Amino acid sequence: MTAGEVRDGEIPAAVRTENLWKVFEHDDIRVEAVRGVTFRIDPGEFVVLAGPSGSGKTTLLNLIGGLTRPTDGQVWVDGREIGSLPDRELAELRLERVGFVFQAYNLLPVLTALENAEFTLLLRGVSPAERRRRVEKLFERIGIAGLEDRLPGKLSGGQQQRVAVARAVVGEPALVLADEPTANLDTATSASLIDLMAELNRELGTTFVFATHDPLLMERARRNVRLVDGSIVADERRD
Amino acid sequence: MSSNLRLRLRLAVRNLIRQRRRTLLSGAAMVVGMALLVFSRALAEGGHEDWIDAGVRLGSGHVSVQAPEYRRQRTLEHRMSSDDRRVVEAALAEPGVARRLVAEAPRLAVQGLASSASSALPVGVAGVDPTAEQGFSLLPERLEAGRYLEPDDRLHAYVGARLADRLDLQPGDRFVLTAQDASGEIVGQMARVVGTFRTGIPEADEALVQIPLHTAQEWLGVPGDVTSIDLLLESSRAVRPVVASLATALEAGSNPVIPLDWREAQPELDAAVRMDDWADYVFHTILFGIAALAIINTILMSVMQRTREFGVLRALGLRRAEVGRLVFAEGMLLTIVSGLAGMVLGLAVVWLFFRDGLDFSSLMKEEMTAAGVVIDPVIVPRFHPTQIAQSLFFILSIGILASIYPAWRATRIDVAEAMKFSE
Repeated sequence: MTAGEVRDGEIPAAVRTENLWKVFEHDDIRVEAVRGVTFRIDPGEFVVLAGPSGSGKTTLLNLIGGLTRPTDGQVWVDGREIGSLPDRELAELRLERVGFVFQAYNLLPVLTALENAEFTLLLRGVSPAERRRRVEKLFERIGIAGLEDRLPGKLSGGQQQRVAVARAVVGEPALVLADEPTANLDTATSASLIDLMAELNRELGTTFVFATHDPLLMERARRNVRLVDGSIVADERRD
Repeated sequence: MSSNLRLRLRLAVRNLIRQRRRTLLSGAAMVVGMALLVFSRALAEGGHEDWIDAGVRLGSGHVSVQAPEYRRQRTLEHRMSSDDRRVVEAALAEPGVARRLVAEAPRLAVQGLASSASSALPVGVAGVDPTAEQGFSLLPERLEAGRYLEPDDRLHAYVGARLADRLDLQPGDRFVLTAQDASGEIVGQMARVVGTFRTGIPEADEALVQIPLHTAQEWLGVPGDVTSIDLLLESSRAVRPVVASLATALEAGSNPVIPLDWREAQPELDAAVRMDDWADYVFHTILFGIAALAIINTILMSVMQRTREFGVLRALGLRRAEVGRLVFAEGMLLTIVSGLAGMVLGLAVVWLFFRDGLDFSSLMKEEMTAAGVVIDPVIVPRFHPTQIAQSLFFILSIGILASIYPAWRATRIDVAEAMKFSE
C-alpha cells in the first residue's frame, strides 16, 4: 500500500507526500530543494515547516499547493494526487480546497479590501449579497471591520495580512498554506495574527501549514516539521 | 453579464487607470493614429471621387451605354439606332437606375479632320445635346473665349483652345470638318467656331470639337442615331448597382447594347486611382503598425511588471487561460476606448473640412494632370458609412493583434517563480 491510498474507515490525509523530490537545474547548477520527503498531515492540524533559509520549506509548500510540479514522487491533497492533474483541475482544486497566505500579502492592488477578500467566492460564482455577508462577518471576526472599501495601499501591513488571511479562509478551504505570513510584521501584530489563525483552525477545523522560521509561530504550532537541506530531520508533535 | 466577465472588466479598467501615464500615452497614440486613419481615408475617398468625377465629366460618364463592338472599333457601323435608344431609355427608367442617375448625355462621336485656311489636323468630333451637356460635362465650364453651344445652334462648333490656335481660328471663324459617314463616304461639314475651351488636358485641348448632335447626325447620315448614351451618377459607388441593373434590363433587347463602367472606358484613370489606393494602403498599414506597437508595448510592459500579481491570481485558482483573458481584456479595452475616441476625432475633422475642403493650391505651382484628369487642388474629404465599418474593423484588428501576445506571455508565467518576482 502506498502513502496516498486510504484504508477503509480511515480519514483521508489533508496532505500526504511520498518520496517527494524537487530539483532545479540551471546552467549546469543542480539544486536539490526537496529530497525524498515522505510525510502526512491530518485534517485540522496546525503545522509548521521550519528550517533555515534554503532548507526547502517554501518549495515544499509550493509542491503541496500545486504551484510547482515535483521532479519525482507524489503529493496528495484532500485525497487527490495532484502531480498528474491537468492545469484546469489543479486550478479548480486550489480554488475550492486550498487557501494561500503569502509573506508579502500579495493583495491585488487595484481591488478594495472587500473585493480582495471575496475574490475566490466571486470565481466560484457566489452571489454578490452572499459574498458581502460572508466577508463582512469575517472582517468583523478578525478585527478589520470598516476597512472594506480601502485599497491595499491604504492599509497597514498587519491589516493587509488580515485581509489576505480573510481571502484564504473565506471560502472555507480544507487547507491553508501560509508562507512566512509574519515575516513582515512586528511582534505584536504577528502574535495577534497567529492568535487569529489558531482560532480559525480550532473553530473551522481548517488545516494550516506554515513555512516559517518565526519562533512565535513555531511555539504556537502543535506540530513542528524541521527541514534541513530539503529533507525532514525532525517531526515533533505537541498536545 | 457573468460575474467573471464583470471581474475581468473591473480589473482591466482599474489596472489601466493605475498605470495612468502609460495608458494615456499609448491611448493618445491610438487616438491620433485612428483619427489620422479616418481623416486620410475620407480625404483619399474625397480626392478619388473628385478625380473620378472630373475624369468622367470630361470623358464618357460613370457608365457609357454602347454597342459591344464600339469599344474596340470606334466606327459608325457600331452605333445605336433609335430603337436601341428607346430600349436604353426604358432601362434608365428602372427605379434602381433612375434614383442614382444625375444626368444622361447622348453622343455621336467620330474621328475626322479639321481644316482651316492655315492647317488641317486630326480631331475627335462629338455630336452633343447642348442642354444635356450643361448638366453633365465640365467642358462648358472650361470656356476660354466665345460661348458654349446652345440648343438652337446648327452649324456651330465648340473647339479646344490649342486646336483653335493651331488652326488659327477665333470665335466666329469658319472651318471644315471631314469624316467617314455611315455608308463609308468621306463627307465634309462647314462649321463656325462659337467658343473655345481649355481643360489643361492636351488630348482634349488639342484634338476635340463639339458640334450639335442633330447637325452631326445629318452630316453623317444617321438621323436619330448615337454612338453612346453616357450617364453621370450620384457617385462612383453607384456604378456597380447601376451597371448590374442595366445589364439585366438591356439583355432583353434584340440588338443588345451593353453598359460599360468608367473603369473599362477610362483604364488609365482606373489605373491611376488604383495606384493611389495602394499608396494609401501602405500609409494606413504604417499607421496601423504604429498604433498596434503602442498598445502592445503598454500591455506587454504591464504584464512584465505584474508577474507576481499573475502568480497570485493563478495561486488563487485562476486557470492559465483565464489569466490570459484578463490581459486580453485589458488590451482590447484600451484599444477599443482609444480607437473609438480616435474615430470620433477623425470624423470631427472630416466634418470640419467637409464644406470648404483642404486647399493644396499653394503646393501646386502649375495645373496638375494625371491620367487625363486635371487634379483639383481643393480636396473635400468625403464621409461614407463604410468608413465607420472599416474603422471598427481596424480597431478590433489592432486590439486582437496587440493583445494576443501579452496575453499569451501571461499564461506562460511559472507560478512559483512569479512569487519570487519583486515589482
